[in-house]
Amino acid sequence: MQTTSDLAKGVIIRHQNDLYVVRKIEFVSPGKGSAFSRVSMKSITTGKTIETTYKSGENVDIVDVERQRMQYLYKTGNKYSFMDQENYEISEVDAEVLGDDAKYLKEGLDVMTISHEGTIVAVELPKKVQYKTVEAPEAVKGDTASGRIMKDVKLENGLMARAPAFIRPGDVLLINTETGEYCERVNE
Amino acid sequence: MSQIAHLMNNKEKLEFKFAAVKAMREFFWSRGFSEIETPCLVRCPGQEPYLSPMRTIVHDEHGQSYKMYLHTSPEFAMKKMLAAGFDKIFYLGKCFRDFESFGGLHNPEFTMLEWYRTGVDYRQIMDETEKMFKFVVIKMKNHRLLSSANARLVEKKWSRVSMRDLWRERVGVDLNDVLSAKKMAALCRQKGFSAAANERYEDLFYKIFLNKIEPRLGLDAPTIVHNYPASMAALARLSKQDKRYAERFELYFDGLELANAFSELTDAREQARRLRQEQRLRKKLGQEVFPIDKEFINALKSGLPECAGIALGVDRFVQILLGCREINNVLSLPMKRLIEDN
Repeated sequence: MQTTSDLAKGVIIRHQNDLYVVRKIEFVSPGKGSAFSRVSMKSITTGKTIETTYKSGENVDIVDVERQRMQYLYKTGNKYSFMDQENYEISEVDAEVLGDDAKYLKEGLDVMTISHEGTIVAVELPKKVQYKTVEAPEAVKGDTASGRIMKDVKLENGLMARAPAFIRPGDVLLINTETGEYCERVNE
Repeated sequence: MSQIAHLMNNKEKLEFKFAAVKAMREFFWSRGFSEIETPCLVRCPGQEPYLSPMRTIVHDEHGQSYKMYLHTSPEFAMKKMLAAGFDKIFYLGKCFRDFESFGGLHNPEFTMLEWYRTGVDYRQIMDETEKMFKFVVIKMKNHRLLSSANARLVEKKWSRVSMRDLWRERVGVDLNDVLSAKKMAALCRQKGFSAAANERYEDLFYKIFLNKIEPRLGLDAPTIVHNYPASMAALARLSKQDKRYAERFELYFDGLELANAFSELTDAREQARRLRQEQRLRKKLGQEVFPIDKEFINALKSGLPECAGIALGVDRFVQILLGCREINNVLSLPMKRLIEDN
């Protein structure tokens, strides 16, 4: 049996006779009582998201899953297609599984898929991804003076990000996929 | 580069924070409080069984070494000051806690606001907390980043509810009937939570509280939850009306705990007994056991006046004002960024 420290986004656990994919974990240490983790997780069978709280160190029943490196291909309707880079098989993933992470996908992006009994139940993105800037309006004069040194830019896959005023179209930016924040410019 | 990028990304939020902290100080100065200092390095850190102080070694000029700790709260030092005659004091500065998450709701070093005053009990601290929040919201009114939804909540009349009423309302149980570990364990099992035979009352209590009560606390208005079971009193005095409960309150906003306050325990013998009890519990939990701060006990013996005080997480307060769930966005250089690039 594993404990709460083995919990992570994408891990599958058995909880009250159902299987859940962990979507979000919030560690809380109230100081006056024992620390706990508030886990938001989605049922594989019903799709319902629930929140539950585990005391730190408490046992959790983690279910074995299959992890595969796959490449993002394209979106059709409500489905996202990924290709297994070893056997070139294509799998489809519902938009629901990706949730908000879908906005970070771009053609050819390598991701890690997590499957349970043949179905992809979660997709892990690389922590940081490079995107080419397609639109970067000139910083308005006065922006710097007012302390606003960041501006909105549009990236190759439609993703919008806040980036420093000096960014120009064509610049390649490194974006943190956990926070959506600009990390650095990585032009060659 | 990512540290600089972090600062650029969060520059406006940080400016907001610095202005809010300035407003907090103005509130206390306008009410005649003194901002005080306490050492961050201490020999006898807080005994809370579930906190892990950070250890460090300090040397004098001869190379003689001293085992010290970074304080997890300025509480002991501030009570020594109250015993020495200071009467309205606040500390706004860093505290340190090990074994907590790097981001989310925690960072190993964070900003704490603690204030204490003599001649009052926890009810006056409730009033003062509500006034302070409202004062800061008014000061920050014109800032672009102030969350208008959360500002409206702060400006509403806050709700105050006793722990017993809360359990009656949300769990349908009279807390008076489940004040022993045995009874609370039975209730846990009945509600579908695991409960081992030797589990502590507090842990059992929190299983139900954290799942059934806390996530929905403070959604409609900031909520003060008061009168905790006596076994969870920590450094609070027991209620004069009902000794089964302690004069302790916590402030909740949007399911988030923001502050913890007490009518302070002034009985030196009772305090020493509770600290010894906590030492035993730390030992049992496999935690480092610290010596009891004798000067803290002496402060109570020498006649610590009736007093009350509160500890409030400043970073979390700023998060509420901004409507931002990630603490790293309101920290200049959070731990997560410090370890990322170097």
